[in-house]
Amino acid sequence: MPYRVTQGMMSSQLMRNLNANLHRMDKWQNQMSTGRKINAPSDDPVGITFSMRYRSELTANDQYQRNVDSAVSWLDYTDTTMNQAGSVLQRLRELAVNGSNGTNPDTAMKSIQSEVGELYNQMIDIANSTFNGKAVFNGQNTTQAPYPKTGIADLDLSTLKPADSGEIKYEVGAGIKMPINVNGNEVFGGTTETDSIFQIFKELHTALGSSDYSAVSSLIGKIDSRNDKFLETRSQVGARMNRIDLIQGRLADININLQSLQSKTEDADMAEVITNMKMDENVYQASLSVGSKLIQPSLVDFLR
Amino acid sequence: MRSTFHSLEISKRALFTQQAALSTTGHNIANANTEGYSRQVVNMKAARPIEAVGLSHSTAPGQLGMGVEFDSITRIREKFLDDQFRNENKSLGSWSVRQDTLEKLETIIAEPSETGIRTVVNNFFKAWSDLSKDPEKTDGRKIVREAAMAMADAFNTTSRQLEDLKGDLTANINVTISQVNTQIDSISRLNAEIQRVEGLGDNANDLRDQRDLLTDQLSKIVNIQVQDSPQGYTITMGSVALVEGAQATPLTADSVSAAYGSGALNNGEIHGMILSRDKYVADYQNQIDTLVNTIANGEIEVTIPKGSVLPNNTVLGNKTYTGADRELKEDLTVKVNGLNGLHKLGYIFSDTPTAAGDFFTGTTGTTFQVNPDIVNNPNLIATSLRTTGTGTSDTVIKGNNTMALLISGLTNTKFTFPAAVAGTPDTKATMDDFFRSTVGQLGVQTQEATRQAGNQKVLTDQVDSRRQSVSQVSLDEEMSNMIKFQHAYNAAARAMTTFDEMLDKVINSMGVVGR
Repeated sequence: MPYRVTQGMMSSQLMRNLNANLHRMDKWQNQMSTGRKINAPSDDPVGITFSMRYRSELTANDQYQRNVDSAVSWLDYTDTTMNQAGSVLQRLRELAVNGSNGTNPDTAMKSIQSEVGELYNQMIDIANSTFNGKAVFNGQNTTQAPYPKTGIADLDLSTLKPADSGEIKYEVGAGIKMPINVNGNEVFGGTTETDSIFQIFKELHTALGSSDYSAVSSLIGKIDSRNDKFLETRSQVGARMNRIDLIQGRLADININLQSLQSKTEDADMAEVITNMKMDENVYQASLSVGSKLIQPSLVDFLR
Repeated sequence: MRSTFHSLEISKRALFTQQAALSTTGHNIANANTEGYSRQVVNMKAARPIEAVGLSHSTAPGQLGMGVEFDSITRIREKFLDDQFRNENKSLGSWSVRQDTLEKLETIIAEPSETGIRTVVNNFFKAWSDLSKDPEKTDGRKIVREAAMAMADAFNTTSRQLEDLKGDLTANINVTISQVNTQIDSISRLNAEIQRVEGLGDNANDLRDQRDLLTDQLSKIVNIQVQDSPQGYTITMGSVALVEGAQATPLTADSVSAAYGSGALNNGEIHGMILSRDKYVADYQNQIDTLVNTIANGEIEVTIPKGSVLPNNTVLGNKTYTGADRELKEDLTVKVNGLNGLHKLGYIFSDTPTAAGDFFTGTTGTTFQVNPDIVNNPNLIATSLRTTGTGTSDTVIKGNNTMALLISGLTNTKFTFPAAVAGTPDTKATMDDFFRSTVGQLGVQTQEATRQAGNQKVLTDQVDSRRQSVSQVSLDEEMSNMIKFQHAYNAAARAMTTFDEMLDKVINSMGVVGR
C-alpha cells in the first residue's frame, strides 16, 4: 500500500507509544506500591464485589470473636464463683452433719451456728457477685443485686424475691445468639423451692440455735438435693464453655479462610508484577532510545 | 512565425513557475508542524500553444509550445478521511468525558478501602454489637452515637461530593457551549472569507485549513454533519443548524438540553457531560439516597423474642399492644420500617419506660443525620425491650439487650429497597449486598467507558494518521521537490542565457561584415 510517512506522523506515533508504555508502567507501579491488584472497582468489577464481601465478613467475624472473648470471660467468672459456692455448700454439709450429732453440747452447736452465719454471708456475697459491674446471677436485671445483704438473723424469707429469669445473649455468629448467664434461681434455688439455699441456711441456723438435732439432720437431705441441682447447673456452664470453645475455633478458621480468599482476590502477585514492570521498563527505555535516533535525521541532514 | 523573443518568454515563464513552486515548497516546510495544515502543490501545465501565425493558414508545423504556467495552488486533502475522522472523533469526545466522570465517581465511592461507606456502616453495626454486651452502661451508647455520626458523615460527604461533581459538570457544559459558539462563529466568518477569496478565482488553501481544523475540533465536542456548499460549510448537529454559510446559530444551555432530549445531540463531549451528569451521577446519588433511606425507614422483617415487653400502645400488624398484652408470650415476627421503626420499639436508658424515638432523621444522603436528640443525649439510644412490674412500678430492665442484638443483627437482614425504575419489583437485599452491587455496577461502567474511550482513541488516531499520510508535510519530500524545482529553475535560467547569447550573436555580431 502506498503510504506516505511524514515526520509529524512519526513523532506523534512515538509519543503515543511512549505514553502507552508509561501508562502500563504506572499500572504496575500502582500495584507494586499498594500490593493490591484491585485498586479501583473498574480494575476488576467482579473481583471487587467478592473483595468487599470478604472485607465485611472479616469485620463481622472480628466482632464475633470479640463477643466470644467476652462470653469466655463471663463464663470463666461464673465458673469461678460457682466453684466458691460449691465449697461453701460442701462446708455447709459438713457442718450440718456435725450439727446433727446429738452428743454435741449447746456451746458446740452455737459455734456451728455462728459458722453457718458466716457461710451464709459468704454465700450471699457469691450470689450477689458482679462481673464488670453487672450482677451475674440476676438474669437481665444486672443493675440490681438479686439477694438482700442482711445478716442471717435478719433474713426474712417472705421478702426474698426470685432472681430475674431473663437470659443474657451474646451474638457469636451471624444470627447465632448464645445465652451466657446462669440464672440465680437455678443455682441457689427459687423462692418457692424447699431446697432453696437461703431457706436451708435460715432453717439450719434456727435449728442449730435451738439444738434441734433431728431438724438439722433432716436438712442434710435438702442440702444434698440442692447440691445435685447446683452441680447440674455448673455442668451446664461447662457445656457452654465447650460450645464457646468450638465456636472460637470455628471463627478462627473462618478468619483464616476469609483472609486467604481476600488475599487471592485482592493481592497482587509480586513476582508477576515485578517481572512485568521490568519488562515494560525495558520496552520503555528501548522506545526512548529508538525515538531519539529515529526522529532526528531527515533528508535535510544529508543535502549539502 | 514565432516571435524573436519567444524563447525568452518561455524561459521567463519557467523561472516564474519554478519560483512559485519553490515558494510553495518553502511554505510547506515552514508549516511542517502547523496543526491542521495540508501540504500544497503548484499545479503546472504546459501553456496553451500557439498556432504558427500567417496571413493565410501557415504551412509551418503548428502548436508551438509556450512554456509552462500554473493555474492553481491546491492543498492535498481527502474529504472522505475528514468525514471519517469527525465521525470517530465525536465518539471519542463522549466516551472520554464519560470515562473521566466515572473515574471521579470511583474516587468518590472509594472502594476498596478502609475508609469508605462500607467500613463506616460495618463499624456502626459493630458498635451495636459491642453495646449489646454492656447495655446497662453509658459508654457503649456514646460509641454507638459516634459510629452513627461517622456513618452519617460518610453519607453526607459522599452525597456532597456527588453534588459537587454535578455542579462541575454543569459548569463545564456551559464553558464548552461558549467554546462551541466561538468556533462556529469563526467557521462562519471563514466561510464568508473563503467565498470572497475564491470568488476572485484564487485558492484559499490556508483559510480552508483553518476552517477544517476548527471543524475537527468542533467534531469532538458535538456530533456534527458537514456539507460543503458554494456558500461554504453548512454544519448541523442532528436537526439543529449551527453554521450556514456566513450565518452562525449560537448554542444556549436550553437549546443544548433540548437537543439532548430530542436526540439531536447524541455524541461528543457535551453529550458525554450531560449523560454523565443526568445518568451516572444522578444514578449514584439516587442509590446513596435509596441506601440511607432504606437503612432508616425501609421495610424489614424482625423477630421479637418472647418475653419482650412492648411500649404501651405500640401498634404492630394492626394490633395495639396495651396492658398485659404488651408482654409477648411467643416470638413475634413483624414488619417494621427500618432501623427507625425498630428502634421505636425499645426503651430509652432510664428507669421509667419511655419508648425511644427515631434513630436517624432525613431521607437523602445530604440530609441524613443521627437524630439530634440522640446526638445531645446518647441515653436516648434504646437497647432494652423489656420492663418489669406494672403500673407505676413498671421499670425498664436495663440489662436487657434485645434491641441492641436486633439492630446489630440487621447486617444480615434483607431490607426492601425500592426499585430505581417505577413498575419493576423492589429488591430485597442486605445493606452490604446493595452497596456492593452499586460498586460492582460502577466498576463495570468504568471498565466499559475506559475500553470504549481507548478503542475510539485508537480509531481516531488511525484515521488521523491516514489523513496525515495524505496531507501532512514530509520534509524529505519537500527537500527532494526543492532540488527538483531548483534544478528546473537553474535550467530555465541557463536556457535564457542560451537565448541571450543567441540574440547577442544576432544583434551584435551579425551584419557587421567589413566594418
